[in-house]
Amino acid sequence: MTSGANPLPTLWELKEMESKPKTRMARLFDRIICALPILAAALELLQYKLRPNFRNFTTTDAYTVFVSFFAVLILGLFVASFFSKRAFEKLRAQSPLYTVVFLLFAAYDHATLKTGLLPLPYFPWPDRILNAIIDDRVLLLDCIGNSLQLLFLGYIFGAAAGLLTGVSAGWSRSIRYWVMPLIRILGPIPSTTWLPIILIVAASLFGGSVFLIALGVWYPVTMTSMNGVQNIRKANFEVARTLGASNARLVFRVAVPSAMPYIFQGLTQGMSVACTALMVAEMMGVESGLGWYINWQRGWAEFAKMYAAIIVICLTFTVVNMALTLIRKRVLRWQEGGAGV
Amino acid sequence: MSAGHIQINNIKKIFARADLNSTLLVLDEVSLDIRPGEFVSLVGTSGCGKSTLLRIIAGLETATDGVALCDGEPINGTNPKRGLVFQEHSLFPWLTVRENIAFGLRATKQYSFKKELVDALISMVGLEEFADSFPHQLSGGMQQRVALVRALAISPDVLLLDEPLGALDSFTRMVIQEELVRLWQERHNTMILITHDVDEAIYLSQRIFIMTPRPGRIIRELTLNMSYPRNRSDSAFVDIRNIILKQLHFATDTHEDYNL
Repeated sequence: MTSGANPLPTLWELKEMESKPKTRMARLFDRIICALPILAAALELLQYKLRPNFRNFTTTDAYTVFVSFFAVLILGLFVASFFSKRAFEKLRAQSPLYTVVFLLFAAYDHATLKTGLLPLPYFPWPDRILNAIIDDRVLLLDCIGNSLQLLFLGYIFGAAAGLLTGVSAGWSRSIRYWVMPLIRILGPIPSTTWLPIILIVAASLFGGSVFLIALGVWYPVTMTSMNGVQNIRKANFEVARTLGASNARLVFRVAVPSAMPYIFQGLTQGMSVACTALMVAEMMGVESGLGWYINWQRGWAEFAKMYAAIIVICLTFTVVNMALTLIRKRVLRWQEGGAGV
Repeated sequence: MSAGHIQINNIKKIFARADLNSTLLVLDEVSLDIRPGEFVSLVGTSGCGKSTLLRIIAGLETATDGVALCDGEPINGTNPKRGLVFQEHSLFPWLTVRENIAFGLRATKQYSFKKELVDALISMVGLEEFADSFPHQLSGGMQQRVALVRALAISPDVLLLDEPLGALDSFTRMVIQEELVRLWQERHNTMILITHDVDEAIYLSQRIFIMTPRPGRIIRELTLNMSYPRNRSDSAFVDIRNIILKQLHFATDTHEDYNL
């Protein structure tokens, strides 16, 4: 094929060389798939602007801007896909999903705003939810701040305590002797069970909620870090000892890093427990945060604002979990296959 | 070099077999005297207790009876004077090649003034390109090279090699055997090698101890006076191989299970 003097192909070129050539029809089909999300978005926009609303339902341009924004993003990618192989592959893989999302929006809009099949006040249409977020943005941002503060305080205390008990119990038989019964008893109890007691006993509701979240995080982190430390490859330990490692070095430079994959399992589980505990704490006691906001708006039958808060919660937790995943990838980059996944 | 004198006097090791509710005699009255700077090998079939003996010298196991001395001092626990290389999977997977090699220097508080040594060791085994790679990105041969220089970084008086090349293909093994001879001739530390590869033992050592299992005993000691580097097809080489194989019952047709 090519002579030895030619440079090696890039990864993309190689992929191209090794894949089967596509027929004209197959290529056309690919382009159509790529264009589908834009068509679906246009369909939804047409429905939104041109179809008469049910009864006296009113709308704003917020939703138009919202849908157009994403449609334009995809359109940009579509144009780029003619010039960049990478953009094409990305769009080709994602466009069926995007299409369905736009169609779902259209269907929901149809069922609420346009026909009233799903009745108010329980089912506000997308534009109303969007406006609820925009109108209440100051309060919502404040709630996000309060929620994150509570979440991270509890999470950090819980994770630190879990690491301490887990690593020391994994390391020392006598510590394990005392920690194990505690874990056996406290482990199966969901941490939110303690809420009624905390509401009575805790000096401040905020402090009590921090404790509640920390307790929920403590358990999985303790279990996994204990497991991780106990499952260390014996050869690693023995070699470290022959290289002159002190006990402190064995714990902090051998046991803990080697247990990190386990510890991150616990940290991930702990995050989902913490999010649950946060919502329960805010809905039941603490008078701030997103959980409180939902409950408060329910009192006023403001359903659009409740949905708005749920969407904000979803986005917030997604971002928090993405951050945790990024940290995990960075810390565990030494793992086989860890870099790519 | 005068340090690195290993004396083993009438060592006995009995293992508890909790699952079978019994005990097992693994080493029976084993005695050795290894001079400083000597390269010796322990050969024998698996289960003859050679690894256990090495672990006792390393300080990872204690003998049930008998004395193990290093430079006249009783061996009590591990010591950076006695380095150890395992067969495989002993590199710290969370550390890069460079950090693995630096581990011992950091642990013994020498890293601040011996940083260049790490780079020197990396280039000594030709892994400059892989200095910042993690162990799983290396081949088995590269991993063992790293394990070897990691142990050498803190200049142990005695290097204990527990089948360090056992998991490698035969070509890689021969290349690293040459490197081992070179390393040893440069440093002249005591080398104690455990292997079931008879050629490897003959290629490398000045003395070979042959062990038999159940209970583990040293049944023969051979002194090799050939000069380095050795030739594997040399007649003296072949003669010694025959002696060892015969001693291990592999060289005669009278053995029922194995015909070579």
